[in-house]
Amino acid sequence: MSLRRFILKRLLSIIPILFGVSVITFSLVHLTPGDPIAQMVAMNPNVTAAEEAQLRARYGLDGPIWEQYLTWMGNVLTGDFGEVIGSGRDVSEVVMTRLPETIALGLFGWAFGLVIAIPTGIYAAINKDEFADTASRFLALSGISIPNFWLGLMLILIGALWIGLWPVLPPSRHALYHPEMLWYLVLPGITIGTAAAASIMRVMRTSMAEEMNKEYVTAARAKGLPERTVVLKHVLRNSLISVVTLAATLTASIVAGSVVVEVVFNWPGLGREFITAIDEREINLIMAITLFTGVFIIIANLLADILYAVLDPRIRYD
Amino acid sequence: MVQDHKQSSLNVDRRQLLQGVGGVSIAAVAGCLGGEDGEDGDPTFHVQLEVNADNDDRVQMVELISTSLEDSGYFSTEIETYEWNNYIERVMDLEYAESGNVPCIGLSGTFNPESFCQALHHSTNHGQCCNLVGIDDSELDDLLDDARYGVEVSGDEDLRRERYDEVWTHLAENRYSSITHFDLVAGVTNNNVHGFNMYPFSEGIFNYGLHAPQDEQVMWMDEDADPRETDVSDLEEGGTLRGAVGANVDSFDPPYSTDTTSTLAQEFVFEQLLRSDKEGNLYPWLAEDYELEETNDVERLDYEDYMTSVEADEEGILDTDEQIIVRHPEDDPVEDDEVRVLLPDDAQEAVDDGTFGMRFRYDLHEGIEFHNGEEFTSEHVIATVERYYNSDLEAQTFDSLLHAEADGDNTVYLYAQIPDAEAERELPGIYIHSMEQADLEGGDLDPRGDDGVEPIGTGPYEFSEFSDEEYVEYTKNDNYWLEELGLEQKEWFDGPEDFPAGPVIDEIDLRIVPDDSSRSAALQNDEIDITYGLSTADLDEFDDSGDYVVKSVEAGGYEYIQYPVHSADDEMPWDDERLRQAINHLVPREQIVEHVLNGWARPAWTDLPELAEEAGTVDADALEDEIRPYNEYDPEAAAELLEEVIEDHDLE
Repeated sequence: MSLRRFILKRLLSIIPILFGVSVITFSLVHLTPGDPIAQMVAMNPNVTAAEEAQLRARYGLDGPIWEQYLTWMGNVLTGDFGEVIGSGRDVSEVVMTRLPETIALGLFGWAFGLVIAIPTGIYAAINKDEFADTASRFLALSGISIPNFWLGLMLILIGALWIGLWPVLPPSRHALYHPEMLWYLVLPGITIGTAAAASIMRVMRTSMAEEMNKEYVTAARAKGLPERTVVLKHVLRNSLISVVTLAATLTASIVAGSVVVEVVFNWPGLGREFITAIDEREINLIMAITLFTGVFIIIANLLADILYAVLDPRIRYD
Repeated sequence: MVQDHKQSSLNVDRRQLLQGVGGVSIAAVAGCLGGEDGEDGDPTFHVQLEVNADNDDRVQMVELISTSLEDSGYFSTEIETYEWNNYIERVMDLEYAESGNVPCIGLSGTFNPESFCQALHHSTNHGQCCNLVGIDDSELDDLLDDARYGVEVSGDEDLRRERYDEVWTHLAENRYSSITHFDLVAGVTNNNVHGFNMYPFSEGIFNYGLHAPQDEQVMWMDEDADPRETDVSDLEEGGTLRGAVGANVDSFDPPYSTDTTSTLAQEFVFEQLLRSDKEGNLYPWLAEDYELEETNDVERLDYEDYMTSVEADEEGILDTDEQIIVRHPEDDPVEDDEVRVLLPDDAQEAVDDGTFGMRFRYDLHEGIEFHNGEEFTSEHVIATVERYYNSDLEAQTFDSLLHAEADGDNTVYLYAQIPDAEAERELPGIYIHSMEQADLEGGDLDPRGDDGVEPIGTGPYEFSEFSDEEYVEYTKNDNYWLEELGLEQKEWFDGPEDFPAGPVIDEIDLRIVPDDSSRSAALQNDEIDITYGLSTADLDEFDDSGDYVVKSVEAGGYEYIQYPVHSADDEMPWDDERLRQAINHLVPREQIVEHVLNGWARPAWTDLPELAEEAGTVDADALEDEIRPYNEYDPEAAAELLEEVIEDHDLE
């Protein structure tokens, strides 16, 4: 199969996956009690049950589940993701405003993870079982174990309250692409990238160490190649394959982690929006965010698959 | 006039409060621990307490009650927790009354004393908020109705107070529910902010704090002085107030928003005919004066002749696009195919015939300008009422309002459906729209997006900029009507001559920061000047520091447990009021306030908080003297009552 057919096939598979995701999410939201109308009026003694029903009917929340799903699906196919019931905002507008914030945060965290993890992993592999390796193993274990909400709070405490290099609230007057915003991405980016960095570092080290034991490394060394070339040109390239796989999988956990990190750092992204949407049972918003996240993760995995071919031309897609 | 919260009459000083309760509270803990732990075998009574798991304070409170019950030796207890939405669905179900469980929930009351008794106890509130256990006491229903509705009480505040006193006594004797405490709300500022005082509702923190001549309240910015040492004679104009609010501003469209942050954000821009001080007294605001002109002995049934029939489907949804003002009390939309309702035109007809409960006349100020230059007239009031038709607030608005009518440019009549002591407050409770925006579809008054519509009102601040989930900004309205007219136009104002006729701070810059600890950190880091809704631990810290000012006031929030009178059986004779009184004596109110809420609340010695005292009792002190003994933590009294119950019901 050619690479182009492979990509096409994978892109087409998005459709059934998203369909499945939408059915499951829609049912889950409806299986949990409560809806936006209940949020609005349930605790208001002045609103009778009849008035509540009337309100529910006005927002189309009174039909059977399948009917509501079909209506929703029909609208989505025409590009209409509906409105946020509590605030009347347009769902696609909300997602489009919030998405870049989360992508910026995710990319920064991801990049931070790779920049920290790959060199440390290499260094640990070369100095296997020495102090540097043990230290990196300790750091990696800590990185994986520290919950990111706690790390976030600590970074705010130290970075903002103690040394005062960052503000607690990111400035909201700059557009996201303003170069200054890079600075404000540092703390939330570190928070989100730490766990990723830790796991990438471990995989980098292991696969690198494994490669180092292979015969072609001995051959390369025997040939008289400088150690630097052996490691960076031959070993690194071969050991990156497992890192790429992991980095793609980590996209999902970075997206999930952004939910907590955005709340702690008051970062107005999709994750913070998602939490509110779930609290308020804003079905349209929950659905849209889930679908967008789904597409995002599928594409990240697809990119990883394509990268394999670049890293190792022997890989065939069939 | 600047008041420190330790001197103010309404503001409660937490420390003083604690000193008062401290001694008793320690005794209470001792009493608990040394209880008659299960003298002979198994406890006689079993109680299952229920609570939503996501409210830590509430869960801890229920745990304290449970421990206290068990320590008495008479009770075994169990606590069930539920996710909030699950819990609400569970306890508001009609069947829940039969379960025999004791639910715990919190409500938010208003200046209306009814909000502390009617919602919990009136039989019509069973199956909705918040008579969870199906209390059905016709004598109490009548007492509650008579304290608010009827020709006599609607024109006589003293009679109303007397009737509420009867309600409180009846409730104390029957103890269907135990209210544990009333919340304090607190606002925190840094030392740049002067003159700040907290309003009993957090949505009023800015609208009230910035400028409220009815209480001689005004706020200003001054970095060079200590706010503890300044008063209004030191006032400086100008500056920017940086604040943080605890949730997104979901909507700038008043009839289409139901959350407190939206109201908070709208109150910079929109105003009402009347305004309230922090005790709930009303003052003419956009209206120069107002008067109750006529009261008639009318019931909702009397509108029958004017009603129109509309179809109802199986689920009780009525087939009409018009606002339903009154539904025929005898028709049931779920069971009947047709329901008789009073629509706006019908209401007008009824009013023309002289069929209405009350008529209020409002004389409007001349020369009030909206931010877009429109001049405020009676037409605006009528158009605003119509914009509330079929809105998200229709239920609250049209449960009392019958009809609005203009008489010339500067007089408006508002009609109440029936004689109602709360009509004076409720009828004018709408935010006046400009004509430019009065025809907007629901939810279209929204500044977001490319074709956003910025809110226009008569208020002291003009909307300037809003970024969803991020910030909202306002600038001072340079043509504010009250400044143009002068405070001397307000007959009720008796403050100093140089008191400003409008707020003095130029710019308001509000960040949207949902996370409590982030708001607290931002205040510490000098990124904001004012915020609210912080954890009690943070409040303690700010209160102890000289760099911040914490102002707190008793608010409308309260928590209660309810006794399942409907499910009485041989083992749990819930219908015996002595059992309920006994449990009430075991509710450790002081411990709850001290240990769960760090003192940032007040034990509910009566069911009436300070907030609603003005309308809810003849004499608050006398009421407390009378009711408090019923609500004291008193294991001995409880044991006595329980022994009687055990004997009379032949329990082991």
